[in-house]
Amino acid sequence: MDFKDYYAVLGVSESATPEEIKKAYRKLARKYHPDVSKEADASDRFKDVGEAYEVLKDPEKRAEYDQLRKYGTRDDGSFQPPPGWQSASGFGGGGYTEADARQFSDFFEEIFGGGRRGGFGGGGFRQSMRMRGEDVHARLALFLEEAFNGCEKQVSFTVHEPDDQGRLIPRQKTLKVKIPAGMREGQHIRLKGQGAPGIGGGEPGDLFIEVELAPHPHFSIEGRDVLVTVPISPWEAALGATVTVPTVSGKVNVKVPKGATSGRKLRLKGKGFPGKHPGDQIVVLQVAMPEQHTAEAEALYEKLAELEKGFNPRSKLHV
Amino acid sequence: MTSKDRILTVEVTDTDGSTFSLREICERGNCHAEFVIKLVDYGVIAPLDEVPEMRQWQFDVAALSRLQKALRLQRDLKLNLPGLAMSLELLDEVQDMRREVDRLNQRIRQLMGE
Repeated sequence: MDFKDYYAVLGVSESATPEEIKKAYRKLARKYHPDVSKEADASDRFKDVGEAYEVLKDPEKRAEYDQLRKYGTRDDGSFQPPPGWQSASGFGGGGYTEADARQFSDFFEEIFGGGRRGGFGGGGFRQSMRMRGEDVHARLALFLEEAFNGCEKQVSFTVHEPDDQGRLIPRQKTLKVKIPAGMREGQHIRLKGQGAPGIGGGEPGDLFIEVELAPHPHFSIEGRDVLVTVPISPWEAALGATVTVPTVSGKVNVKVPKGATSGRKLRLKGKGFPGKHPGDQIVVLQVAMPEQHTAEAEALYEKLAELEKGFNPRSKLHV
Repeated sequence: MTSKDRILTVEVTDTDGSTFSLREICERGNCHAEFVIKLVDYGVIAPLDEVPEMRQWQFDVAALSRLQKALRLQRDLKLNLPGLAMSLELLDEVQDMRREVDRLNQRIRQLMGE
């Protein structure tokens, strides 16, 4: 087991005052709170910070920790508590962080006995009560095609289940979920009874899955509508044409009107997200130029410039 | 039993159809009704139809998820209600902006033909 340097976690010195420790904790708790931070390891950092503060805020625990820090670490950085070690302070939960000891590390468990030995937060009061299991909230990232057409996805999450002694043990649970067609960003799916099991015969909690959509290289989403930018040639824009455009459910032919300009939007009714009120696909036209012209084409452009010399594309800029 | 055996296939029958009464949302959030009522007063969460009779209030999953977020922030960062309301509003704004930046970056990439 590796030694956890709680002082380093909070970024304070060994001689830090309780005030300095509290200040450092508050700052880091705000920074790494999983509801605030978008850093990938925010949740782990937040747990570490909470665990470090749980120990260092309490003079008794801090003294024990300091002692272990001195005598329990080995030369290779690993940690083994001295033989017969037993914490005098133990863990009661509560306090400033109202910490949930189920979240704490094996290192904490080894030193202070942790909350996993009790039913909940060290207390074990839940065991005698009939309680509904906790709801679990999870997020699920889908590709646009998956959300559009529906799919089967595997969802993994952690639930806290009581063991034979009524201790709450975290367990990884995996479900295969059939996602219905037409799920959009931010929508929730509820799986009844798939959350944490109830305690004392209480009913199980539910699993709520919030859908997230991974960015697509061609399509973007606005509500129920799907947007796609489709390049067209200058002659297709000038003369009008029938062009093939992609939709999430396959290719379709679209009539580009004569005299189309860049940014012109064409609406394909019902080609957006499926559902009771299906969305539309919006095709945004973009006039694209060939990278090179032949001498003949250049000559034609020159002729065109002569014929259309009355046209000033910058008239709105008053130049 | 192997971990593979534990994989269960479930079909979703309830997409966004769930609503919760004031009592149910309190049970699920493990909090008092007074706290939920205050969050409604501060505009942090809202029932689907803001009828004066609280017993008729119905909340959707988004409101439940927001209530739980508010409870976590209050517990972990010791925020009072006005601070909580403001933090959640700012977090929403940040999230909207992040989404907008992602969307615009994606549009730029599409327009650049990347």
